Amino acid sequence: MRKNLSLIIGIVLVLIIITVWVMSFVFMPYNPNEMNIPNKFLKPDLQSEHILGTDNFGRDILSRIMYGSRNVLLVGIGSVTLGTVLGIVLGAVAAMAKRFANTIIMRIMDGLMAFPGILLAMMLVTVVERGIQGSIIAISIFMVPVFSRLVYSMILDTENLLFIKAAKSYGSTKSQIFFRHYIPAMLPRLITQFSSAIGSAVMIETSLSFLGLGIQPPFASWGLMLSESRQFFLVYPYLAVAPGIAIIITVLGFNLIGDGLNDILINRRSHNE
Amino acid sequence: MIFLLTGGAIMSDTVVLNNLHIKDGDNTLVNKTSIVIEQGEIYGLVGESGSGKTLTAKAIIDLLPEGLNYTADKIITAGKNMLIASSDEKREHIGKNIGYIPQNTVFYLHPMIKIKNQIGDGYIYHMNKSRKEAMEKAEVLLKKVGFENPKTVLNYYPWQLSGGMRQRCNIAMALMNDPKLIIADEPTTALDSTVQRQVMELFGAINKELKISILLISHDLGLIKHYSHSLAVMYAGQIVESGYSKTVFNNPKHPYTQLLIEIIPSLKIKKSEPLAEIPGFVQEKGRDADGCLFIKRCPKAMDICKEYVAEHMDDMQDHYYRCNLE
Amino acid sequence: MLSYVLNRFKSAIVVLFVVSIITFFVLMIIPGNPAELILGTDATPEMIEDLHVAMGLDRPLYQQYLSWLLDLFKLNMGKSYVYGESVKTLIARSLPVTISISVFAMAIAVFIAFFFGMISAIKKNSIIDYFSRSIMQLGAAIPSFWIGMVFIVYFGVKLKLFPVSGFVPINQNFIKFINSIFLPSVVLAIGEVGTLLRIIRSSMLDSLKQDYMDMAKVKGLGAGKIYIKYALRGALTAPLTIIGMQFAKLAGGTVVVETIFALPGLGRLVLTAVEHRDIVLLQGLVMFITSTVIIITLIVDILVMFLNPRIKSFHQGE
Repeated sequence: MRKNLSLIIGIVLVLIIITVWVMSFVFMPYNPNEMNIPNKFLKPDLQSEHILGTDNFGRDILSRIMYGSRNVLLVGIGSVTLGTVLGIVLGAVAAMAKRFANTIIMRIMDGLMAFPGILLAMMLVTVVERGIQGSIIAISIFMVPVFSRLVYSMILDTENLLFIKAAKSYGSTKSQIFFRHYIPAMLPRLITQFSSAIGSAVMIETSLSFLGLGIQPPFASWGLMLSESRQFFLVYPYLAVAPGIAIIITVLGFNLIGDGLNDILINRRSHNE
Repeated sequence: MIFLLTGGAIMSDTVVLNNLHIKDGDNTLVNKTSIVIEQGEIYGLVGESGSGKTLTAKAIIDLLPEGLNYTADKIITAGKNMLIASSDEKREHIGKNIGYIPQNTVFYLHPMIKIKNQIGDGYIYHMNKSRKEAMEKAEVLLKKVGFENPKTVLNYYPWQLSGGMRQRCNIAMALMNDPKLIIADEPTTALDSTVQRQVMELFGAINKELKISILLISHDLGLIKHYSHSLAVMYAGQIVESGYSKTVFNNPKHPYTQLLIEIIPSLKIKKSEPLAEIPGFVQEKGRDADGCLFIKRCPKAMDICKEYVAEHMDDMQDHYYRCNLE
Repeated sequence: MLSYVLNRFKSAIVVLFVVSIITFFVLMIIPGNPAELILGTDATPEMIEDLHVAMGLDRPLYQQYLSWLLDLFKLNMGKSYVYGESVKTLIARSLPVTISISVFAMAIAVFIAFFFGMISAIKKNSIIDYFSRSIMQLGAAIPSFWIGMVFIVYFGVKLKLFPVSGFVPINQNFIKFINSIFLPSVVLAIGEVGTLLRIIRSSMLDSLKQDYMDMAKVKGLGAGKIYIKYALRGALTAPLTIIGMQFAKLAGGTVVVETIFALPGLGRLVLTAVEHRDIVLLQGLVMFITSTVIIITLIVDILVMFLNPRIKSFHQGE
């Protein structure tokens, strides 16, 4: 029971964020970009119209947080999905290919992994246009090596399992084998890695936005909100609280899910052995 | 000597264990086991793997793994009442007075530490000796266990030594503090036969010269027959027969003991005769049942054995067995 | 053993090579004409063309790559557009800052991780274990810029314990130096502690299960000796490797912290390069930082191999 505590807390946290996300389509108290200068710097007050207060342009913080969730989740989940798919393809190709292609692909993956995360992301963002698309592309490329290596090693491990040999012996084609047998075997670990990766992706995205390299103003992204709050932080610290907490909840939530799933996987495996 | 319901252990006995009960959650592993080891004797503890011998031995020196619960009426080890002593007291007492030689030699000695740096630390700590004195004593003991070049051995890492050599190091290490009791758990199983002989002769010599009591655990009844003064036969967590070795071997009362004695391979077996074996296997669960646990494999089982097992204690208090047969 | 070392070298060189290719070609994809960017909007087409040729941008890409690579070997990384100084000089100037906070951050993280990691493992499932593990999770989820800002406000402004920005070199004034790097290092450490703690805890747990712990207990040694001499030593291989890797990655990821605390380190340099699309500077920086990461990882691997006598002998036959 204790072991699943991570998973449970993680799921709760992610549900919170997803709720916020859903709410952003259903009902946002204000237009997140609507400026209302006379109302600027209102402190958070549960009784008032602006529950979380307003920022330096009089924009409602709660709405901005809700709107920001869209971008953050889009980039976070989008980039990881893209990275995973590419990773699976590359990993599979590398595993099933001949020596030359195999080596090339894996060496490129090694090379990519050698770059420190933020550095790689920043480098890629220089090349593509800044913004949501840019962030998605940059972060997804960062994710590819991890998944491709995972898939590569899992395929090589699974190759020897009996049911694969059995399938080969009665003549299934390579792609049949791949989809019907390999993927289900790899799914648990992929899902675990996927979840943890979302946590990292969100972290990187918010860092990029903070540095001004991600989502551009006037759109709301939590990282951007934090960076915009910097100048006023000494006088109005509350400006940073909401986005900071939003980020923490999201990253923590996905990380905990990843960890919780990992624990379950390990336990299941050791029972099977 | 066998201790049972009335008492009969004396102060000088090295080990007095009474009614040891070990459980893992709800599952009983060792059930009402009692042993008395006299001073200066070699006591054999025999049984198949899974019979509870190692656990019983570990209980005597407070080495049971966490997660197991145990109770006992008495555990007196080398003169100290282990049931009332504090953790620290137990630790000090065992470190000073007991030598333990485990079954598995692979990781017992720390792989990253040279022999010389681990063989003597207990000695230095308990006996208040210097490192130099520890090395000197280690050399003496290593020589005694059969190493020609103790100085070289001391400089090795454990993985540079063979299994037999590691075992001999363990023995030397166990002797460092001149212990009152040595517990040797399957000391010869992993060794080849010549080394086996060496090691057993060594135990015999230690026992004779230094008057050290030895608890010898083995599944090899032949070994026990040759070297022990007293023995106990364990089955599925219980002692089914115990007594002076001579007595038990001359007149084994429990069917299990009888079978074990039968299957001791000897040179007299003709080539074509198959080695006898006892069909079936030791049960893991249900060890706290009232009836006899050997019932499924016993050639002489009776109906009454399902519910009740009689305990017999010879008049002279040196032969105990649990069986409904006379 | 030599063969193992050589193999690692070979891998490292291959990876470095791949990294250089990626670095160079990725940044060459940037839309726009570098010469145009430098000269700005006033430039005439002829001026742009001249600069273009002068910078060697008209040659085929692979030639440009090779000449860049050769220059790298001579430790010539070119001249930055933005600053007008040689990249080498800029790096040399910024390096001490980044190294200072990285090293200090690593030291803090190692200290905390070992302390709590060991206790967590020894007292598994106790309150302190839960506490450590929560810290571990939180640390990884807290954005460094956020906690950085919080620290600045509370420790820097309200309590006036530390300066809120700026870097004081170590040879100027040691106390002020420590002061200036303290907060940023702590912020960095918070991010690293989690992983380290997890590894240490898990290594210790494995080590505590080993038979030699029985031996230590039966010999009746004191708790300190048991845990440090025996348990910890058996648990060091994985943590040491990770520490090396963490340190290397840390050094590459200081951008955010340097920005918040206004420290003129490598990270800030990278940010400037990205903002202004200063390709030359960026290429040099990325190459430098990533190479450092790879080299440090290599050194750590070899060191760890030496430290663990069993692994060393395992490879001795090679």
